[in-house]
Amino acid sequence: MNVKEYIESGILEAYALGALTEVERNEVEANIAMYPELTAELAAIEDGMFNYAEEHAVAPPPSMQNQIWDAIKVDDDSVVNEAPQEEAPKNVPLPPSAGGAKRPGWQMAAMWAAIIVSVLSNFILLSQRNATKEEQKVLASKIDSMSAQQQQLASVIEAYKHEKDMLADPGMETIVMRKEGEPDMAGMVYWSKDKGEAFLALHNIPKLPEGKQYQLWVIKDGAPVDMGVIPHNMLTEDGAMMKIANNVTAGQAFAISIEKEGGNPTPTEVYMVGLAAS
Amino acid sequence: MATATTYTEIELISLLKQKSRQGFDYLYQQYSAALYGVVRKVLTDEQTAQDVLQEAFVKIWNNIEKFDPEKGRLYTWMLNLARNTAIDKLRSKGEIMKGKIQTGEDVVYANESNHKTEQTTDTIGLRETVAGLKPEYQTIVELAYFKGFTLDEISKTTNTPLGTVKTRMRKAITMLRQHYNN
Repeated sequence: MNVKEYIESGILEAYALGALTEVERNEVEANIAMYPELTAELAAIEDGMFNYAEEHAVAPPPSMQNQIWDAIKVDDDSVVNEAPQEEAPKNVPLPPSAGGAKRPGWQMAAMWAAIIVSVLSNFILLSQRNATKEEQKVLASKIDSMSAQQQQLASVIEAYKHEKDMLADPGMETIVMRKEGEPDMAGMVYWSKDKGEAFLALHNIPKLPEGKQYQLWVIKDGAPVDMGVIPHNMLTEDGAMMKIANNVTAGQAFAISIEKEGGNPTPTEVYMVGLAAS
Repeated sequence: MATATTYTEIELISLLKQKSRQGFDYLYQQYSAALYGVVRKVLTDEQTAQDVLQEAFVKIWNNIEKFDPEKGRLYTWMLNLARNTAIDKLRSKGEIMKGKIQTGEDVVYANESNHKTEQTTDTIGLRETVAGLKPEYQTIVELAYFKGFTLDEISKTTNTPLGTVKTRMRKAITMLRQHYNN
């Protein structure tokens, strides 16, 4: 509906002047309920009409005030018959909130129902809040352990990815060290001869008893060269890979031996060996 | 004025709901003349007008609980109540037809006598210059508000298209608004 056109049509004035049929009146009232602009316009129209009525006011005969009051009293026995006060103190007991002075029964009932519902729901909400706090704690610790797991997984993935990249590198030679009769075990050395870099990864190598440690060797011209001991965490973290500290530029084979904790200058018990492609 | 106390509309409604005489006296002093003026415009007979004024006040008193401040102002509600009571009386007395015929004649006079501003009349003060309204505007307002004519009846009585009746109503009220704002 075009509100402006509707106002300009004069229908609101016709409504205010009481010139509409009941059907038309209902229609206008429905429109007024929907459009606040119409309410404002109607109020202005009514103001104009009230001013007109004021200007054309005619005082009724003075006797009528009492006559009408008597008629009201006959009609309604609940009236409060105060004598009209000459200087009536402006003392109007107003209801605490907007609305009627006397609240009908259903209103009181609705008020009490609202209060009871409010108290109950507060109670329920409070206990729910406590439960929620507990749940929050549990969830927070779950999230902590999950993020720790995730970090672990991320490092494992990173390690595998590194290994895969090295496998893909054509300049990288792969030496597989094996132990006889243990096909699942493998010690992998990724060796870039040009750069002198080598990496070690272990698969399914068993842990050693206390006081023992694996040591890595490169066999160069028939003699073992110490490449350092293998940290214990290499055995517990599957897929972990370590860069071999020493520079390796030549060699025919790699080997792992079992030594005492901290290693030995020469290997005492060779565990597994893998030959490099010549 | 018996008392210099003034009440806001909300205070007055509250007093009326408490059925206080103080509330009635204030209501009467503030509004009886405006209401009586409207009733007198509808009904020519003075005694009938007084009866209607009394009836209107009793209705206001008994129906104050039904008054909804969100739907409009108290005085608008009371004015309409008084006006409707008067229109009902007019119709029940069979005066409506007489009124229509009379007013129809008046319209002719009004249209013919635009240049004659000073003219006395026997009936309802149709030719009082209200806020400088042109006679054709004034006629429409008075037919609607004081005689209870519908748009259709006004259109037929004044031989004016329905749309024109409405736009004249708008113009008339707009002029009233401007007149009282100045």
